[in-house]
Amino acid sequence: MIGFIILAVLALGFALAVVVAKHPVHSALALVGHVVVLAVFYLLLKAEFLAAAQVIVYAGAIMILFLFVVTLLTAGKEDQDARESLPAQRGIAAFLAILGGALLAGTAVRVAGTPAAGRAPTGYGGLLDMGRLLWGPDFPYLALVALMLLTAALGVIVLNRPEPAGAPVKEGR
Amino acid sequence: MIIPMLEPEFLMGIGVLVTLVLAMVVRERSNTAYWSGLVFAVAAGVRSFTLHPAAHLVGGMMVADGYGLVVNIMVTAAVAAGLLLAFDSGRYTVEFPALILLAGLGGMIMGLAANFILLFLGLELLSLPLYILAASRRDARSGEAGLKYLLTGAFSSGVLLFGMALLYGSTGTVTFINYTTLHLIPVLLGAGLALVIVGLGYKLAIVPFHMWVPDVYEGSPTPVTTFMAFGTKVAAAAALLRVLAFGFALTSGVWGLALGYFAVLTMLAGNLLALPQRDLKRLLAWSGVGNAGYVLVGIASHTVSGAQAALFYLLPYGMAIVLAFGVIRVLEGQQEGAQMEDLTGLAHREPWLAAGLTVALLSLAGIPLTAGFFGKFYLIKGALQGDQWGMAIGLVVATIVSLGVYFRPIQYMFREGEGRPAQWSVGAAVVVAGAAFVTLFIGVYPQPLLHFVAHAATFTWLR
Repeated sequence: MIGFIILAVLALGFALAVVVAKHPVHSALALVGHVVVLAVFYLLLKAEFLAAAQVIVYAGAIMILFLFVVTLLTAGKEDQDARESLPAQRGIAAFLAILGGALLAGTAVRVAGTPAAGRAPTGYGGLLDMGRLLWGPDFPYLALVALMLLTAALGVIVLNRPEPAGAPVKEGR
Repeated sequence: MIIPMLEPEFLMGIGVLVTLVLAMVVRERSNTAYWSGLVFAVAAGVRSFTLHPAAHLVGGMMVADGYGLVVNIMVTAAVAAGLLLAFDSGRYTVEFPALILLAGLGGMIMGLAANFILLFLGLELLSLPLYILAASRRDARSGEAGLKYLLTGAFSSGVLLFGMALLYGSTGTVTFINYTTLHLIPVLLGAGLALVIVGLGYKLAIVPFHMWVPDVYEGSPTPVTTFMAFGTKVAAAAALLRVLAFGFALTSGVWGLALGYFAVLTMLAGNLLALPQRDLKRLLAWSGVGNAGYVLVGIASHTVSGAQAALFYLLPYGMAIVLAFGVIRVLEGQQEGAQMEDLTGLAHREPWLAAGLTVALLSLAGIPLTAGFFGKFYLIKGALQGDQWGMAIGLVVATIVSLGVYFRPIQYMFREGEGRPAQWSVGAAVVVAGAAFVTLFIGVYPQPLLHFVAHAATFTWLR
């Protein structure tokens, strides 16, 4: 329980730092911390595969990519905010967001302590079990994710194609 | 695993791969990939039409039934319309057919999903290609549309996933059929259900989750907007109807009320905000928001006839919106988008084009002898059978407001003066003629379609 509380505080702190940090690189580093803490959470829940995947995929591949993009594009530059046409929208949005968050937090407080319905079978979330599910009854999910990756690859091709020769250069790209 | 009821989905999947290979093999400026995409989309639609509907639960993840087949037919029609309106690999990339087939496959998956994992995967497979297609034109507007769609879409996916996690935590299952025995909604389940409705509401573009719609519809290339307006809306509405009317049928008192308020708000706001629009694509975007409210009336009335009316209304709406976008595609020519002023004198210059747009607008307004009239008629009937007077009155008021929206372009078409010259293409002509024919046919003789759809929508009550 004490371990859980420490980890929860750490996770929340890192998540807040992602949003609050002024510098994008700091945000990215805080996100790495958050992701690692989540991986420890998964380990506590005996989901070794998820923990390993979390660290390799998120903290490893995705965050490095993210840092590359940040360094290449906007490091240190301040963007000018566009003028807003609706003067009160920030206030209203903040109010509604706090209201929604409070409702969700209230729900959490009300149901705290009640166990989740249905107990997971032994070995659930482990490597062997995961593989049996993904290559067995859950194979359609895997196939669909494969199609999604195909879409992402297509997206890279479509969005990065150079302008056709002789086309007029347009604003914005 | 390969069962006959899933043949349309397999056809689409094979179509994606074949189209991609063709796009790679043939020379640059050829439209072979478009032909291949069109053939597979039409084949999947025809196969869905000829399959005998039977209700199987496959592996606890999908229901292959008549409901899914109706969704298949509408989504493949949207794919075919998008392909026909584009059909130029020089202007819209060679990858366009493969991407729009992928999006169509995602929509079809959403129609037959029977658990939340498959529903989510279908939604993402529908959305990802659309983010790319929305940004595929090379100017700032299109980039803005793609980014805006991506950000709001990713956010709504997050909300949807959060809701699914709460539902799983409180019930221990993600399969809809296991929810059918719930009589009460505990707090945690209620929070999860609310977040799921919000997440799907984003895709369906109901007020207050609609703010991305006008900019995305305006900035995306017109064939992509056509698919978004028809295909995405069909898939999102079908998934919402399946989750609520099939999974949470016994607790309709909880979600019916909330959806009812959303429906009235969406109908009124969508049609009122369509009034001042001068850009035709923005006008149709707001009209799409208003029409999402009409569909919601059928879902929120939580009666069998309401569900049938919601599923039925998607076709008249889709045909009319496809017809209107087809006309815009003819009008815009090599540029993008069309203004209200471009319509000036259209009735004298291009009587057939003007007739097509008039049919579309009359159907959207719900004038008799067009399909839209029957769509609204059955929606009001469904609402009244559920004793939901408020929604019926809201629908009538919104329809009256919408007359002001839809008659203004018609007024411009009959003015004297010079607008923009039309540039017909064969694909656009096929879309305009086909959609106009279906709109008028259903408007005069709705019986066969009504029977087909009513049969399909009752299947959701099979336990």
